[in-house]
Amino acid sequence: MKNPTLRAAAAVAILGLGVSLAACSGGSSNSASDSVRAEAEYSGPQVDITFWNGWTGGAAPVLVPQLVAEFNETHPDIKVKSNAMEWADITQKMPLAIKAGKGPDVAVAHGDDVATYAAQGLLLKTDDVVEALGYDEDDFPEGLMDAGQFDDSQYGVPWSVTPLGLYINKDVLVKAGLDPETAPTDQKSYLAALEALKAAGVQGEWADGYVFTGTFEFESLLWQFGGELFNEDVTEATFNSEAGVKALTWMTDLIEKGYSPANVAQDGNINALIGGETAFNWNGVWQTTNEALQSVDWTAIPVPQIGTEKAVWSSSTHWMFPANKNQDPDKSAAAATFVKWMNDNSAEWASTGELPAQNTVREDPALLTDYPALAPFLEQLEYARYETVSPGITNAMAEVTTGVNEAMLGKKSPKEALDDAAEKATQLLKQNKAQYGG
Amino acid sequence: MANPSIVPPLRGGSGLRGAAARRKTLTAYLFLAPFLVIFGIFVLFPAVYGLWISLHVWNPLLDDHPFVGLQNFFDLFTPGSITYGDFWESMRATGIFVVASVPFLLAVPLAIALLLNRRIKGGTVFRGIFFAPYVLGVAVVSVLWRYLLDPQLGVVNAVLELLGLPSDIPWTVDVPWAWISLVGITVWWTLGLNTVILLAGLKGINPDLYEAASLDGAGAWRKFTSVTLPGLRPVMTFVVTVTLLSSANMFGQSFLITQGGPGTQTRTAIMYIADQGLVQNQMGAATAMSYVLFAILAVVSVINFRLQRDNTK
Repeated sequence: MKNPTLRAAAAVAILGLGVSLAACSGGSSNSASDSVRAEAEYSGPQVDITFWNGWTGGAAPVLVPQLVAEFNETHPDIKVKSNAMEWADITQKMPLAIKAGKGPDVAVAHGDDVATYAAQGLLLKTDDVVEALGYDEDDFPEGLMDAGQFDDSQYGVPWSVTPLGLYINKDVLVKAGLDPETAPTDQKSYLAALEALKAAGVQGEWADGYVFTGTFEFESLLWQFGGELFNEDVTEATFNSEAGVKALTWMTDLIEKGYSPANVAQDGNINALIGGETAFNWNGVWQTTNEALQSVDWTAIPVPQIGTEKAVWSSSTHWMFPANKNQDPDKSAAAATFVKWMNDNSAEWASTGELPAQNTVREDPALLTDYPALAPFLEQLEYARYETVSPGITNAMAEVTTGVNEAMLGKKSPKEALDDAAEKATQLLKQNKAQYGG
Repeated sequence: MANPSIVPPLRGGSGLRGAAARRKTLTAYLFLAPFLVIFGIFVLFPAVYGLWISLHVWNPLLDDHPFVGLQNFFDLFTPGSITYGDFWESMRATGIFVVASVPFLLAVPLAIALLLNRRIKGGTVFRGIFFAPYVLGVAVVSVLWRYLLDPQLGVVNAVLELLGLPSDIPWTVDVPWAWISLVGITVWWTLGLNTVILLAGLKGINPDLYEAASLDGAGAWRKFTSVTLPGLRPVMTFVVTVTLLSSANMFGQSFLITQGGPGTQTRTAIMYIADQGLVQNQMGAATAMSYVLFAILAVVSVINFRLQRDNTK
């Protein structure tokens, strides 16, 4: 739509539609609407609802059916059918399934996907759910509700968070004559530890340029140095700022100064930590449940503050209510009740290597009694930063990884790598805006 | 034209037998019909539909598919456009892989086939051994080699260290090593197929020709160049074409072993097209790229066929 008059007309039409839909979603139970009618306790007719999720690994395949069975038992009006498949399969299948009216009634997505789904018109608004279930921003870690928003509406309800932490192989520290109980917290102490390790012949942190480790370390450092990935309205990449260059230079310096080997392969660093060849690894909370790691005397602490402020990367997952063609409002309402119950009963979720999002659950002292390794991750949530919310954002984020990768492999200087990546990312953001609006 | 021996002449030729020939043609088409229907639905229709898609900004998840004419194609040839740099880099990666792998995928299987063609003890066993990797899936092969070739923790570098050789080679991480790995793995993985086909070709060469050549005083090399190679020509044409095309379509190895790195240097054309179409939902751009790739491969195939034509007559 290049024609401005046409575009304005369309905007008016869409606005009008929105208003009329909002008007009829007010309270009547069975009206067609673009948002979910919600009740803390579902009170409609008996319904079967389907639930799609990508939890196929670790403890989840046992835990999810358990939770669902428990829910079904206590809610005779609702029967939830859980359907687990690979995340990648969900990403490919769900949009088409929803368009065909065959999608699930409730699903879970990663934080960086919610806005994309919303912009594609695949989701019901959940502002009413949040309100009816009595949720408030303060019920979740700071910034997490925002991560489920698009275009001033709520589309996701938080379920879990997964921040980065610093994993330590204690035996390696001891061998290098370091006290594993006095962990590094800032640039000075971290460098001192790396220096001591180097003197003992150990490369203390294996830095790489891959997603999950290098990319997320770069983002954490970027924020720590006061930078941002993108500008406010996500139309321009800004990760090549001075802060970004500082962050990436810190990482390439690890190699330069001999603290890290060059050319580390993907997952090489966590494998090296498990193999006792390195002492530190910046990695996600999901590694707490890595079985191979349990053979090692390990601990995790908050990532050190290298820059001028505290910050750490985190991802999140959110509940979504698909806008299937002819979606039955009763089913969506029942799904909301399911979501509330799941969140309230999510304490066991920690066993899968993710932190339950709901504060009351996470702050229950029992959680740390059962899962003491999570303490440092919980501690960081105060200043954790979540993924950028913007439709189609994953393409721009892939450019960040490419840039970090090129710098870490010495193909380009940090500045050059980030400049090139930012230029490309900005181009992609423009394309996203043109296609998804918002 | 070349080799009349491959395809037996279909038509009788003389006017008297015209009616019979027509009936034969009809029968042939009847037998072909089931295949043609499937071919039409799953190959021809998508190909034409793809051409239509390539004329649009086609995000399958949005209802609106704006028509942009040939813009997607123009973008591919306009420096600075959103796809130009990445696309041609991926084409370059594909080119490097084809040029580096095809000679090995022809020469090595041919050498093995020649050895296996001699009457040696346990020939069948060796044939099995060489063919074995081919039955593995690309995921298995890639994961296996990713572990073996890990620069710091892999077995290959560890063995090199034992031998006192450089042991910090970034096999899966940096070029040119990543290319050496990708080509080496692919050759190891797929040489069995070409070997078996070439072996069948060798068995098809009339032994009398070798005997005649011997009587004329030809040595081993002369026999190879004057009897074996010409005898293999039809089989070779097939093998070269199939190998060229499958190398140009390489995807899984790069995707799983190097993740397209360093940066995007080992991201092949198919890998970039798949990312554009299936991950970024830019179907229009992706189909346009597919057609450009198709056009180039078509030209390469034609050149290949011409080069392989029998010029000795």
